Amino acid sequence: MRGFWPIFKRELFSLFVTPLAWVVITSFLLLQGLHFFLIVVNFAAAPAEAVGDSGPVQAFFGQTMLLYVPLLLVCPLLTMRLFAEERRSGTIETLLTAPVGTVGVVLAKYAAALATYVVMWAPTALYIVILARTGDVDWRVVGTSYLSVFAIGAGYLALGVMTSALTQSQLTAAVLSALVISGLFFFGFAEFIVPDGPAHDLATHVSVWTQMNDASRGLIDSRRLVFDATVVLLPLFVTVRAVEAWRWG
Amino acid sequence: MIEVERLSKSYGAFRAVSDVSFHVERGEVVGFLGPNGAGKSTTLRMLAGFLGPSAGRIRIGGHDIAEEPQLAREKLGYMPETSPLYPEMRVREYLAFRAEVKRVPRSARAKAVERAAEEARVDDVADVLVQHLSKGYRQRVGLADALLGDPPVLILDEPTAGLDPNQIREVRELVKRRGKDHAILVSTHILSEVEATCSRALVVARGKLVASGTIEELREMRRASGLRIVVRGDAPRALGIVRALPEIAGAEVDAGHAPAADAAALVVEYRRAEGGAEAAERVVAALVGAGLGVREVVPRAATLEQVFSELTRVDEDAAEVQA
Repeated sequence: MRGFWPIFKRELFSLFVTPLAWVVITSFLLLQGLHFFLIVVNFAAAPAEAVGDSGPVQAFFGQTMLLYVPLLLVCPLLTMRLFAEERRSGTIETLLTAPVGTVGVVLAKYAAALATYVVMWAPTALYIVILARTGDVDWRVVGTSYLSVFAIGAGYLALGVMTSALTQSQLTAAVLSALVISGLFFFGFAEFIVPDGPAHDLATHVSVWTQMNDASRGLIDSRRLVFDATVVLLPLFVTVRAVEAWRWG
Repeated sequence: MIEVERLSKSYGAFRAVSDVSFHVERGEVVGFLGPNGAGKSTTLRMLAGFLGPSAGRIRIGGHDIAEEPQLAREKLGYMPETSPLYPEMRVREYLAFRAEVKRVPRSARAKAVERAAEEARVDDVADVLVQHLSKGYRQRVGLADALLGDPPVLILDEPTAGLDPNQIREVRELVKRRGKDHAILVSTHILSEVEATCSRALVVARGKLVASGTIEELREMRRASGLRIVVRGDAPRALGIVRALPEIAGAEVDAGHAPAADAAALVVEYRRAEGGAEAAERVVAALVGAGLGVREVVPRAATLEQVFSELTRVDEDAAEVQA
């Protein structure tokens, strides 16, 4: 873990001193703002009996694609430069010859991406505040939804860190991680296509759609959290091994 | 402070470094000399812990780089050849980051950054973004980085490459000054650089250590090996006179460089470099005595390539003797 704190700070500095993080966050918030606006307008227009017991918060987190499709693009953009750029420019040589540990370097970079991800989501809490002023908000739903958003993003970012460590080109890293993440995402949809059987069960297990749908009803399935943790830890382990392998290249 | 034992590095079948051993003690500045592609940077990268050796042991400040990598790297200031930096940071920010990564205590950090920046002469650009710096400044920011926290061992990979003559002189003075109480290994492909800063030199060629010695021994190798003389008059006759002298191994007309219509340039090789001064005197006296006009006499120092090929040959001879 040596070197974690200064590298974490430097990565955050780099992300926010260049336009990339701002562009990504602004685009993401514009899209989510539009998404929220449409949902609220829709609910305001609908007659009370048609709404049933689901509210705008449930709709926002559980019933549209708009919530996580942007993540398939945003996560690769946040992670692509972490290792690829250091290798292309050669700064990895000064970084790894300082008294730092490989685990510290990998975790610091990952944590910086994750912190940016949290910063990106933070303003959406305002939507909840707005809803709470005009009606009832189920805080349990808000909690489980944000936890799931965090867990899903944590896995996508870990995959992005891994692909960034596997190539020297930011573009290749971004494309690779977008492919892997999309593959995982769309594999989850197989639950609606494949008939009952092991493939269906597997697809249900990794389905982000179902996970968010559950979360938007206040449900957290511990098996899903275990899966999310696997998607975080496995790529990070591969990243640590990859960084150590460069020494022997 | 730097101990290297039987170090080797292979890339597939290609042996970039083979069986290199040497020591550098505190108070020494050692030149790591070799032509481009000799394996200098590969060796230094292994010493800095960036590349893993295929075989051999490295100890920095008493710590084995494989067994206690972080302790070893803490003792070490390393300046890579290309001095890679983060373009989006200001020089002061970059050095502060490096100081923190190198575990300079918080209270001493600002002072350490200031001191290193001053010593490497980058204090005047402390608030400039790295991406706006010239190559010479970038190089010296890399040097300031290596000096941060005052590590007892410095490994500098071609620290003067890309600098102008004034900057080169400053860097050499810095290396000499630090060399009094540090162990410093400086790589270069310029022989005069070693003469200017180092007390000892290691010469590598094709991944092997082919010679090591003091600067005096190196100077010996570089001593004038011949003369270039511009003679007025009959060139073939001049050649005959020069070739007849016992000190001379051979002489040719330098056809490519006719200095004037009535003159010719001769390139003369001494038989032994040690007799250079006397041989020059004899050549001139013989030519003037024969009634030829001598217009220019220029000693020809051995080029680096000649020195290297000499050293490499010696090494191969030794290998044959051993076999």
